[in-house]
Amino acid sequence: MSEATIAGSAVQGRAHVFPRAPLNRFLLGLVVPGLLLCLWQIACWARLAPDYILPSPLSVAERFRTELHGGTFAEAVGASLSRVLEGFLSGSSAGLAFGLLLGLSRTAENLFGPLFLAYRQIALFAWVPLLSMWFGGGEAGKIAFVSLSCFAPTAVNTWRAIKAIPAKLRELAAVLTFGPLDYVTLIALPGALAGIITGLRASLIYAWIATVGAELFLDIAPGLGGLLNEGRDKFEIDLMLVALAVLSVLGFICARSAAFVEKRLLLRWRLG
Amino acid sequence: MKRVNTPLSARLRRLAQGLAVPAVLLALWAGLAAANRLPEQILPAPAAVWAALLDSAASGDLWSNTLISLERVFEGFALGALGGLVLGALLGLSERCRIFLDPLFMFLAQVPTLGWIPLLILALGVDESMKVTIIAWASFIPVVLNVHQGIRDVPGSLRELARVLTFDRWYSVTRVVLPAAVPSIFTGLREGLANAWQTMVAAELFASSEGLGYLISMGRQLFQLDLVLAMVLVLGLVGLLVNGALGLAEQRLLRWQEHAP
Amino acid sequence: MNLPLNPRAVATNAAEAVPALAINHVSKTFQVAGKAVNALRDVSFSVSAGEFVAIVGASGCGKSTLLRLILGLDTDYEGEIRLDGARVRAPGLDRGIVFQEHRLLPWLTAEGNVAAALRRSGLPSAERQRLVAEHLALVGLSSFARAWPAQLSGGMSQRVAIARALVNRPRFLLLDEPLGALDALTRLRLQEELARIVRTESSTALLVTHDVDEAVFLADRIIVLQPNPGRIARILDIDLGPHRDRSAPAFLKLRDEVLASLGVFHSS
Repeated sequence: MSEATIAGSAVQGRAHVFPRAPLNRFLLGLVVPGLLLCLWQIACWARLAPDYILPSPLSVAERFRTELHGGTFAEAVGASLSRVLEGFLSGSSAGLAFGLLLGLSRTAENLFGPLFLAYRQIALFAWVPLLSMWFGGGEAGKIAFVSLSCFAPTAVNTWRAIKAIPAKLRELAAVLTFGPLDYVTLIALPGALAGIITGLRASLIYAWIATVGAELFLDIAPGLGGLLNEGRDKFEIDLMLVALAVLSVLGFICARSAAFVEKRLLLRWRLG
Repeated sequence: MKRVNTPLSARLRRLAQGLAVPAVLLALWAGLAAANRLPEQILPAPAAVWAALLDSAASGDLWSNTLISLERVFEGFALGALGGLVLGALLGLSERCRIFLDPLFMFLAQVPTLGWIPLLILALGVDESMKVTIIAWASFIPVVLNVHQGIRDVPGSLRELARVLTFDRWYSVTRVVLPAAVPSIFTGLREGLANAWQTMVAAELFASSEGLGYLISMGRQLFQLDLVLAMVLVLGLVGLLVNGALGLAEQRLLRWQEHAP
Repeated sequence: MNLPLNPRAVATNAAEAVPALAINHVSKTFQVAGKAVNALRDVSFSVSAGEFVAIVGASGCGKSTLLRLILGLDTDYEGEIRLDGARVRAPGLDRGIVFQEHRLLPWLTAEGNVAAALRRSGLPSAERQRLVAEHLALVGLSSFARAWPAQLSGGMSQRVAIARALVNRPRFLLLDEPLGALDALTRLRLQEELARIVRTESSTALLVTHDVDEAVFLADRIIVLQPNPGRIARILDIDLGPHRDRSAPAFLKLRDEVLASLGVFHSS
């Protein structure tokens, strides 16, 4: 990254280079959002728009505080989170197993691959009406939908990663007379680990999309999507903004944790 | 010990294997329905689904709604992709833009796209502009991410080359950096289109009175499971065609590169 | 009679009716883009126990193909390959191979990689640990047992690969251009190492290489293959004794003979 930065500045012929220290960059990064927030707040004080159309940042913060202490906020966050986790765990493990199967067995790949690829052509949310008809609208249906959303990303990435294992390593396994179990544990899984983790991270993102989407459209409460609906029904934009901000932060936390786990798992033997 | 395994026979075998499972499932489905073992609310007979499909095609509903869906997707995608190319390029090329704009963008991008819909409905109502906007936003994000990363990933060695050949900024960007980033740009466009498609379906399912998604939703409300299934299949098919078209375009434009999937 | 590198082989030679490795009229054809390519045509030779045989030839002469057939990775050919009289049907732990790329598993340490070769050996864990330590010491990498392949240089990685090939005490050590990917200095050093190791282990070794000096330095016999189709041009006995001087006249003479068989004429 720094190499590109230096080269980039060099191409521009500029004398100064932007601060490299993470803290300074972070602070600079807050400038624009900070500025926008100030402008927003000033616009509200100047009463440029009625309060119910544009709540000020302060009132949004205030709403956040009241929701946190008083209302069902924690319950909503908890409900959404648990849906995400339940769906993610069940969906990605199924996806992992399926991806392994397709990657390791040529026969399985020929039998199920085309069907799987066809399935993937159908947009995710198209399954909601079907699932709601089959499950009747209970919690199981929602979890099933989130599971479904996690299945394909993990499956595809796992499948690809296993197939990408170099032929030379497969030959090595033959020469060392490895059985299928040896091959899977010593070569296939470690070799495909990077791709599997990519798939799992993608699945996590889809789990959020599916959860929020399902909550929004099936009017499910409690949940963050439910809060958004509530805000829309009651025309309480400050509540909606709180919910959106929380979603962003939760998404960020998930992404960061996933990146952290990925690094710990992979970096041990990689060394750059 | 000579094995005669011509490529053609191997390919036919693969084709047969690929069709085997769907064929078996289809037969099972039809068999259960014929034996009256399948409650209609769970799964209507294949014949009923087929009939619903033909009806919809005959009445013109299918075509008009499909067209509307496609229009929406392309309108939204075009807007989002264009904007995404611009912002992605800015973020990739200018460190100043990166420092100031990236955090804000990433913060907004973390919110699941569909989460913006309630706010948009309040702002724009439930009409076309809301849908095109959300589809554009859904396309915007992956294009920005991929273009940004693609430009950053251009190897330092190439940039150095530009410098040694005394290219000025504009020349270096247009002749070296951007072409080198083209594969990533296409990845971003592909993801953007996929996102646009998914968002279109979601938006139509829940907030629309026309389009393929609307047909599915209507079928659900009328408890016409055969219509729902028929439209889901059509959705899959159209999605496949759209993806295929983009893939072809990509192949044409990326001929100079060995494209490894 | 010429003295092979390993004195043990003399005794076994006399007693043996069945050669350790017998290649009988082996031919192999590949289909490349619809055309038939004759990789090997009617190759026959045998190797006695404890011998060090080198196969040299230009690219495309089928030497690597031959190794793969001996390994049992490919069973689609004409002719016979027999190990101690029995036909080769599949890979086995009686044949250890060092590839040109080290093919170490990046997620296992050096000792983990060597131990991987013992996975199917059926030995108890304590015995395995002992063998791994012993062979890492043999290649001089005891202090790097816990290192990851990414931390090792090319030469060191290849030494780990050699340890891995030997840890099962295989009957045959097959080497497919093992030093080709290394720089010249490391190559020279590892050639010395290989000579020492093979002598210590008393293995029968089959080395495929395009480096004639390497072949003359290490082998008791050199089989020269000609390409298109791959067939034996000549077999030379190398009678230079166990410690060889690369600049000695006898060495250079043999080297020139091999080069001549390959069609390369050295003007001295």
